[in-house]
Order: sequence, then C-alpha cells, then structure tokens
Amino acid sequence: MSAEPALMSLVAVAKAIATREVSSREVTRACLHRIAEWQPRLNAFMAIEAEAALAAADAADTALAGGNSRGPLHGVPLAHKDMYYDAGHVVTCGSLIRRDFVATTTSTALQRLKDAGTIRLGSLQMVEFAYGPTGHNVHYGAVRNPWNVDHITGGSSSGSGSAVAARLTFAALGSDTGGSIRMPAHFCGVTGLKTTVGRVSRAGAMPLSQSLDTVGPLAQSAEDCALLLGLMAGADPEDPTASTLPVPDYMAATRGSLKGLKIGVPTAFYVDDLDSEVARVLDETMATLKKEGAEIVKVELPDQRQLTAACQLVLATEAAALHKRWMIERPQDYGAQVLMRLQNGLAIPAVTYLEAMRWRGPALAAFLAAVAGTDAMLVPVAPIPAATIAESDVGNSLNAEAVIQRITRFTRPINYLGLPALSIPCGFTKNGLPVGLQLVGRSFDEAMLLRIGAAFQRATDYHQRVPKAA
Amino acid sequence: MTKPSPKEIKAMTDVAGVPATPEVAERIANSIGPAFEGFAPVAGTLPFDLEPASFLLVQTAKVST
Repeated sequence: MSAEPALMSLVAVAKAIATREVSSREVTRACLHRIAEWQPRLNAFMAIEAEAALAAADAADTALAGGNSRGPLHGVPLAHKDMYYDAGHVVTCGSLIRRDFVATTTSTALQRLKDAGTIRLGSLQMVEFAYGPTGHNVHYGAVRNPWNVDHITGGSSSGSGSAVAARLTFAALGSDTGGSIRMPAHFCGVTGLKTTVGRVSRAGAMPLSQSLDTVGPLAQSAEDCALLLGLMAGADPEDPTASTLPVPDYMAATRGSLKGLKIGVPTAFYVDDLDSEVARVLDETMATLKKEGAEIVKVELPDQRQLTAACQLVLATEAAALHKRWMIERPQDYGAQVLMRLQNGLAIPAVTYLEAMRWRGPALAAFLAAVAGTDAMLVPVAPIPAATIAESDVGNSLNAEAVIQRITRFTRPINYLGLPALSIPCGFTKNGLPVGLQLVGRSFDEAMLLRIGAAFQRATDYHQRVPKAA
Repeated sequence: MTKPSPKEIKAMTDVAGVPATPEVAERIANSIGPAFEGFAPVAGTLPFDLEPASFLLVQTAKVST
C-alpha cells in the first residue's frame, strides 16, 4: 500500500478497502487533505462536501465490518464533472443559468458507480455547458494545471483532469463531444477514455450534442478506466441510444500483451505541424510499443479536414437547438465566448446539418477501410502541450482563437466518427508538462485500446508521476 | 457550397427567433466559414437514398470479436 492512500490507483485503493487494509474514512480523509492543500491553487472543485463524504465513509466502513460490501468500489470516494445529475444535489453544468439547479434524478452512469459502492466527495469544475476546449470559465474561474498552474488543463472536463492529476480523486467522470476528455487527459498527464457513441448511457448527463456526446472516465491508468467502464457500460431503458451490445470483460483485456498487434500511424494530418516535443514523444512511444511486441504500420487516411468540418457543423447546430430557449430568455447569463459559440449554430442551414449527418456512415466506412488490418491507431491528442491560460484566453489574447483551433484539430474527427479513443500519458516536455497520445479503435472495441494502454503502462511510469505541491 | 454571408446570417438568426446584430452576424460568418469550406467537397455529392441511420449500420457491422 502507498504511504499516502490518496496516491493509490483506483484499482489498488478499492482492493485495499475491500481487504480492510485501509478504511474508507482513512482514504476519504487523505483525499480531503489533498483537496484542502491543492484547491486554492487549482480551482478544480465546484463543491467540496467533506462532512457528508466522511459520514458516507463511516457508513461504508460499518457496512464492511458487518460483511456487507456494496460492490467493487465499496467505500471509494470520487468526484465527477458537474454535469451528471445526482438527485438532491445542485448540478451547475459550469454555468450561471444552472447555478441553483437541483437535480431530481440521478444519471445512469453515476448511479451505476454508486451501486458499485462509491461515495461522493463533491463535484468538479468544468467549462460552461461543456462548450469550450481550454478550461476557462468566466463564472467560476479557470481551472489550473497541477503541473504548472499558469497553464490550461484543457476542457471541457477541466476539473476532472486537474483533480485526477493532483490525486484529489481516484477517478472522475468526464464527457467528450469534441475532445473534452482526451484534451484534459493529455494536458494534465492522466488516462482518459472517450467511449464509442452509445457505449455508455447518457441519461441524466447534461447534453451538448445528442449525436456526438459520450460519457467516459479520467483516471490514473488504463486499468482504472477498464474497471469504471465495465461498471457503467451497457443498455439502459432510460436511454434508447445506449447500445444493447454485450459488455466485454475490460479488466481481462488489460492483462493482454502487445505481441502480434498492429498499430497504425497515419502518414499525414495527425503528424503534420507537431510541436517538436510532441513529435519526440510520438517517436519514443512507437519505439516502446515495438519493443513490447507490437508492429507499427503506416496508414493512409481519407481527408480528415472534412471530418473536422462535419463535426463542427453537427455540434454547433445541435448545441444551438438545445440552448435556443435560454439564448432568447437569458442571453446575459452566458459567458461571452460560450454565447458566441452557440450563436454559430443559428447560421447553419438545416440541409447542411442533415448532409453532415447523412455523410457519417460513409465517412466511418471509409475510415475503417483505411485502417483495416490494424488493431488501433496511435496519434497525438493535440499538436502542442498545454498552452498558458493567458495565451488561450479568448477575451484577452489575440492569439487565442488560433490556439483553440490548433488544440481541437486531432480530436474532432474522432467524435464525428463516433469511435472510442484512449488518451494515455506518454512523456513530458523539457519544462515538465505532460504529453498524451490517443489510441483510436474500432466502434465498441474499447477492450483493445485498454489492452494496449495497460501494456504500455506496464512498460512505462508516466502515468504514475505526481505533480508536486509548490 | 458557399458559406453564408453576414447578411444571410442576419436573416437566418431573425427567422430562428434569436436575432443577431450586424456585428454579431459578421462575427458568426467569420467563425463558421472554415467549417463550410471544409465540408464543401462533400456537400451536394451524397447519394439520394443515403440516410443518417446508415451510421448505426456501419458502427455495429464493424464490431471486433
């Protein structure tokens, strides 16, 4: 067991509580101690519920002492992006508009984690209505990167990335509509899983774009993500878009090796205009994967810029439609940047939106044909490491829009195709900022990504490094 | 496919019931222009009987075992 329980992985701490090596109260107190230490600098939490968390931990310990375990995450304290409805709790969605919104239902993903025994630490900061890639939030302040607090966390799951990296929570739910799990994972040095569209129920999760929204975890490791996905995935009567396909044993998948696997690396687009340190990390990662038994093969993809454009058209239109009532009634309550993004969707003709939706099937078929014969594709999450908060602040930096366009370039095509992608920490820059790469898989083949990610993490220690308090 | 002009965007936002000022319409035109340009090679080329649900067919047909 780690000397500090909060530094343990999710899988390790769940086992330690189950075997009563450590109590839920000790673990919860350790998390709360780190939260108290880091929160003033990171702004990662929206709400901290220390007393309720300790009371729930005590109840979990009492139940376990009586031989009653609720499930594989019994007594594990977690916090999640503040967009998952949790009955009786305020769910702000990072917004002023929902500052006082009290949920009357609990999201399916969250309920399944509760049913597995988790307890609530509080809620995590996010970009307003999950509509922004940097982590800025004019209402509640920017979330800061624990590796360097002058730098962005990425968004929109900004608090999730920051809190997991600083070991304030063992894992956190995020959501990924245009890169919102993978970017914080990349910039903050944690593991993040964007699931296939339909793999995890979205019932009770704040919507941004019904066609693109996905629910997924951020955690220390691929193994942790596998544990969480196995608990959350599967059909849900509350969400008819949730797939009825069987849920594989993701934990078993993480025990597989890389031997015999083919990993594709594109010849263009995802390798163009990379920051030299991201390029170096990509080369080093390919070398490690080869050393562990994988074969690296070149793949030639269809034009990915068209996928990016189609993603933008679908996302902007659906977001505008969802927010139209508040855009009419409460425009003053939006942050300026989020309102501007929402307004963009008003100018997309219905025919153009439907063309973008109709093209999705052929575009996915063409992509899958291009990567046929490979088990996954390896590409950067973004061409650069975390930018500074100042240079990516749209309100105050002339360069900000260029930064935003650059950091979303490699994530949006994957959202349009609805594919799963696992972002894993793969190295650090000279200045100590993490660099993540994403493994992209076939639809509903999260198991393969988790297998590759776990094997890579057995051969490296980037995912185990912890930022130091200043 | 051409991207909408600020004047056209002004009319569209009026019809949508969320009117934009001329300045906002100009900003929207600049912001969404690249998406229209990027999608231009696809727009107007899709077969007649292609429907959005074909995405689900492709998605489930390609499940790895």
